Order: sequence, then structure tokens, then C-alpha cells
Amino acid sequence: MNDMKLAEKTVDQTDIKFSAKDVQVYYGDNHAIKDVNVDILDKTVTAFIGPSGCGKSTFLRCLNRMNDTIDICRVEGNITLDGEDIYDPRVDPVQLRAKVGMVFQKPNPFPKSIYDNVAYGPRIHGLANTKADLDEIVEQSLRNAALWGEAKDRLQEPGTSLSGGQQQRLCIARAIATKPEVLLMDEPCSALDPIATAQVEELIDELRQDFSVVIVTHSMQQAARVSQRTAFFHLGNLVEYGDTPTIFTNPEDPRTESYITGRIG
Amino acid sequence: MSARTSLINAGNTPVTLRLKKRRRAEWRLKAYGIFAITLAMLALVALLNSVVRNAAGALTESYIELPVTLAADDIDPDATADPKIILRADFGGLTKRTLRAVFPSVKARKAKRELYDLLSNGAGFELAEMVSKNTALVGQDITFRFLASDVADLYLQGSYGALIEHTNHGDLTVSLDGDTATVSSSTPDFQTALDGLRAELLQHSAHLREQAAMQDAGVVEFMRRAEAATDAEAKAAAQAQVTARSAARDALIAQALEQEQRADAGQSGEDLTKSSPSLLINTAGGWIKLTRIEADSGVGEVLVPLKGESSDWSLYTTELPEDARKVSDRQIAWIESLKQAGQVDRVFNWRFFTASDSREPELAGIRGAAMGTFWTMLVTFSLAFPIGVFSAIYLEEFAPKNKFTDFIEVNINNLAAVPSIIFGLLGLAVIIGFFGVPRSAPLAGGIVMALMTLPTIIIASRAAIAAVPPSIRDAALGVGASRMQTAFHHVLPLSVPGMLTGSILGMARALGETAPLIMIGMVAFIVDVPSGITDSATVLPVQVYRWSDFPERAFEARTAAAICVLMGFLIAMNALAIFLRRKFERRW
Repeated sequence: MNDMKLAEKTVDQTDIKFSAKDVQVYYGDNHAIKDVNVDILDKTVTAFIGPSGCGKSTFLRCLNRMNDTIDICRVEGNITLDGEDIYDPRVDPVQLRAKVGMVFQKPNPFPKSIYDNVAYGPRIHGLANTKADLDEIVEQSLRNAALWGEAKDRLQEPGTSLSGGQQQRLCIARAIATKPEVLLMDEPCSALDPIATAQVEELIDELRQDFSVVIVTHSMQQAARVSQRTAFFHLGNLVEYGDTPTIFTNPEDPRTESYITGRIG
Repeated sequence: MSARTSLINAGNTPVTLRLKKRRRAEWRLKAYGIFAITLAMLALVALLNSVVRNAAGALTESYIELPVTLAADDIDPDATADPKIILRADFGGLTKRTLRAVFPSVKARKAKRELYDLLSNGAGFELAEMVSKNTALVGQDITFRFLASDVADLYLQGSYGALIEHTNHGDLTVSLDGDTATVSSSTPDFQTALDGLRAELLQHSAHLREQAAMQDAGVVEFMRRAEAATDAEAKAAAQAQVTARSAARDALIAQALEQEQRADAGQSGEDLTKSSPSLLINTAGGWIKLTRIEADSGVGEVLVPLKGESSDWSLYTTELPEDARKVSDRQIAWIESLKQAGQVDRVFNWRFFTASDSREPELAGIRGAAMGTFWTMLVTFSLAFPIGVFSAIYLEEFAPKNKFTDFIEVNINNLAAVPSIIFGLLGLAVIIGFFGVPRSAPLAGGIVMALMTLPTIIIASRAAIAAVPPSIRDAALGVGASRMQTAFHHVLPLSVPGMLTGSILGMARALGETAPLIMIGMVAFIVDVPSGITDSATVLPVQVYRWSDFPERAFEARTAAAICVLMGFLIAMNALAIFLRRKFERRW
């Protein structure tokens, strides 16, 4: 793990964006997440690592209530965004998801043009009043997603005609076009080759300027490369949560150490 | 250590043997598939061939051009020039008078009826309509193209067999005695026909002898029984059988002998009956039907009078005997003489596509049924498609997954398998009985068909929706689209091709359905073309069913032609389904 530049990972933020207290998630009778307490900082990249089936994706999907679409899923406990309970009955999940964007494991652009992919969110949320405004948002989002250079001449071509890495960046552009406050990424690089992965990772680092980013990853190297804070999940429990350098060099819990040195998981 | 086996020369190891077995199994599977497809193709070709060939007869109609005197006294005695009064005049009688004027020699009642049968019953109406539209024609002599009857048309098409002309004949002398003509030829021109008749007599006598032999076998059997019988009653019964059967046998043998003698009679002549092919002579513009022939002479009946004398003559044999065809020898003679005068023409049968149902095959058309089908399908589609698609969206995207929705799902699947006549009963009881929708109307039929098609559409649409990858839904929900926006902006556009295909296939099934329509009175004789969804109407498959039931031979061709139109509808709908699928199909 020589390529990790752990020394550079410093956390200069203290504003808490998400705060989870005693979160329990059940899939029917299956207790998937147990007693998770975590504070996610603003303008920081937080990585969730852990072996397959440990509940990190499930917890991520709690943060924008994507679990609502699964009938048998039940969430208990308290999750607040800027101090507001997101599971409050008065909260509209649609509103929440506009604030908390999400990028999925497999690139999933809509079967529409590149322009329409990015413009879809702003359109349904009414973020642009004129065509010029919308053009501006699309351009800015594509720029932020480092796709403008490649896509500016083919905005009307279908999003699915792009390569895998470009598609994933298009999905990131689509997610940030609604001007979210938090960006959730569920293993965004697992379907990409190393070059595309490097581009997306670089992008994540830039996105930190504007958003709080939560990333679920299988790759410990990736977590070490892109995140400032790391949370280690194991069997539905949050085992350890702290600054990335600490987790990777001096973990408190023996399970964390076993995992990052490759003995479990 | 095992030696490395060669890939090219592997020999007969268990592995290669198993491989061969696998190959054979593969080859067999392929052969079964090709066999099945070939069989299906042959069946299709045979079906299309028979239908299209039958339908060809409906493609033409015949007209007979006759001079008509539109006497003012008959049509418009008060000189009103009012189309309505003219329409009510006796054009049927005028048509009959016109025919009699062309063939003045026809006097007998039966012959007259046969003469009138040359023209369609609708011919008079057509003349009436033409004169009422152009009242200036009253009092003039015109030539009018009368529509030929179905029998005349079928004869002209050759459906009653051809008229075979004989060659190589000598000079003919005709001597007339009223309607009877005696003809003689300088060469034995009638020998062939005579031989044919005798061969037929011999064939018939052979058949009689076979029957006699069967009776004889019965006699022997009952004699045996009579001897074996113990009680007097059974013996008497058997004896009675023996007597009856011997009498029958002797009668048959006597008949056979008589026929054989006739066939053997050397130069003496033979009578022509209705069950042997007719012999017709055409000379000097007239027609003679032979009733008795000898090798070089004959006696005949004049069907169309001869105009003077001519040395030119032709001898014709009909392919079928008179009692095996609907067109009589007289009618053949009339039609042929009209044909010689150039007064008969056959044209493309546009009437079939513009007219509605009729009892007269030559007047019947498909338009009414086709429009009925159009209106019914319109009602069906506009009800079944939106309801089906929205049900599918609700069930697939919004409905909670619980026992109740499972129950609904099972019942929708069950409904798809309910026999269609049950839907007809429902339509009769609820739609007509309770809601008071007019009977026999496309509205009622369309509602019933919609109910019948709904399960198909719902199942197909649900399958299409379920085939949309969940990642698209996640993506839409992830950017903050509501469930409805997700459904309508993303899921629906992707599933529309599948929905349309399923719906059109369901509609195609409804298109060919007759059973439910029986219950709601759409199986009816409807002469008007329906102009809306509440007019009485019938549909194409019902029309096919009804025409196939009519006794007139000409309806056979009309039935096949109606089937062709129905298949045209089907092909058009399937083509539309393919077109729409191609147009809306999007890849992800």
C-alpha cells in the first residue's frame, strides 16, 4: 500500500452534515444494520468500507431514503440532515433526493440525449426558468464532472453512446445538476477500468470543494486515495469510524486491522 | 502418466464416443426444428393457396348488355319527371320484357323463369336508379348493362365446366318441324358421343350386376338360415327374405341385360338423358340441343332459333351433365348466343368492396362488415389500451405487494383464459341488459371485445414494464423524480413498444372472434353500411361465417374473398405493430 498518500489526508471541516443515531435497518426479519452512529462532515469525502454484505450500501441508501422503494425494508433510529430528521413524515423524499444526489454502481444514463440526461433533474425541480439558464446548468455540471470537453460537440447524441467511464461521469453530472448538498456514491468505479477509475477519483476529489461526498467502495486503496474520513462496517455494525490515515495506519479495532491487512473479508 | 491425445486423431476413447453422441443429439434436435418449420410453412402455403384460389371467383362480375325501350307509358305515364315516381315504376317487369324481346321464342313458363334467371334481381333496381337520376331518358331506346345473375356469372367463369368443341365434321342438313329439329351429317360425327353413351351404359350395367351379386349372396345366406332354423317362425322369416332378395336380384339382372343390349345394338341410336353430358349444335346463329343421336344423325330441340341456313356448324359437349349443374342447357345456349353477339362482358368486381351484405351473391359486398369491424376495433382499442396500460402501470409500479394484489394478479391471468362466449354472455346481461347499450351495435361489441382483450393487454404491458431495468428507476428516483414522474418519463417510454405489440396481438385475436358477438346480436343480416358505433353492424368473421352457410354456390367465392379481406386486416395490424415497435424501440 505504498501508493497511498496518507499524509495529505487532513480534515479541515467540522460542520456536521449528516448525523445518524442508533440506526437499525431490517429487511423483513433480517436485521441488516445494527446501532449505527455516525456523523458525516460537510465538504469532506467519507468512505464506507467493509466486506460484501456488511450493510454499507444499505446504510448509504438510508441517507436519501432510496430504501423506501423496497417494501420489506424498515428503518429505525434517527438520521438528520443539517439537524432535520429526514424520516419525519413531513419530509418529502423527492425533496430530500434533490438535496442528496446519488451515483450508482453501474453507469445508468437515461436512454435520452446527453443534454437531456443532465437537464432532467433541473427540469423536474424547476431550477431553470429559461433555455439559457438550463444550458448554463448543463454546461456547468458537465464541466464539474470533467465531461464537457468530450461531450460538448455531441450533446444531442444518446447518453448510452458514451464509453463506460464517460457514462459514469455523465451520471455524476446528472447528480450534481440538481445542486445537491451531499453526493452519495455506491461503488461508482466497480464497473470501470483503471484509467476511468482514476478520472472519477480525481473528480471526486474536486467535488469535495462544493459537496459532502459519501462513497461506498470495495477497494481499500480507493478509500485511502480519495477519502478524508473512513467508516469500517462489519456484519451490520459500524466497527470503526475516524480519519482515513488513522484507520489505515493505526486502527483501534482488531477487526479493522484484519480487514485492511486482508485477513478477513 | 497419461499420454496426450491428439486433437486430430483422437481414436475411439470414451470421450470421443460421448462427443459423437452429443453431436448426434444436436443434429436430431436441428432436424426436428427444420421439420416442424417446414410443416408449418406447407400448411400456411396450402391454406393461402386454397383461400386465394377460391377467392379469385369473386374478383369479377358479369354484365349483359341489352337494348331497352324506356316507354313513357310504363315508367312515367303522367309525365311528372319526378325521380321518386320513376323509382317506383315496375322496372322488374321491364327487365323481364326486355329479356323476352331478345329471345321471343321462349314461351313455356319454366323456360321463361330460366330466362329471367340470367339477370340479377338487382339489375332492375340499377336501371331504375339510372333512369331516376337522368329523367330525360324516359321515352328513349337505350342499351343498358344489366348485372348478370350469380348462375350466369359462375357459368361464364367456367365453374360449371367448359363447353368442349368437337372437330372434323362433315356437312350438316337441318330440317325443322316447329321446335324439333332433325339433323344429319355427311360423316359419322356423333359416333364419339354415341360410343361415350354406350360405354356409360356398360359401366352402369356392371354396377347393377355388382349389386345383383350382393343380393345373390343374401339369398344364399338366408337359404342357409332357413335350413338351419328350428322354429317355424324364424324359418318363415328367412324364407320371406329369400323370396324378396331373389326378386330384387332378378330385377337388377334384367335391368343390366337391357342396358347391355342397348349398348350392343349396333347402328341404332341412343337417347340423351339429363345425366349424360349434353350435346349442343350451334349453326346459323341458333342453338340446337340433341335429344337422340345416331352415328351420323340426330333429333334435337331448338333452344335459340336459327336465322336462315348456314353450312358452318359446331358441335359442343358440356363437361357436366345437365342435372349436375345449376345452369340449364337453355341458359347455356342463351348466354353463348349473347356472347357471340358481344353483349356479355366481365369486369373487376368493385361492387364487392363497395356494397353491403345481400341475399343475392352477385350483389353482396364486404363493405358493411369491414366498416363494422373498423368501428368495433376502434371502440375496443380506445377502451382496452388505456385501461390496460394504466392498470399495468399501477400494478407494476405503485401497488403494494400483498395478498390482495396477488389475488388480483391471479384473477387477471385467469380472465385471459376464459372462453370468449362467456364474455358475450356478460355483454348481453350487463352491457345490453343493464346499461341499455343498443343491440347489434359496434359499441356493445367493442365493449365486450375490450373486456376480452384487457387481460392480454395487462399481462403484456406488465411484462414490458418489468423488462425495464431497475437501474433506470433508481436513476430517476436518485435525481429526485417522484414515482409518477419515474413511471411516465422513463418507464413508460421504454415499455411502450412492448405494450403496443401486446395490445395489437390482443386486438388481432378480437378481430377474428365470432362467439361473443353471437350473444350480443352482431350475427345478423345487415344491409346498411354502419356509419357510427351505435348503428347495427356485423363484422368480418361473422360475415365469413354467415356466407359460408348460404346455399348459393357463388357465396363460396365471396366467403373466401371475405377471408382474404380479414387476413388483410390482420396483416395490416401486425405490420403496424412491427412498425411501432421499430419506431419507439430504444436501447439502454
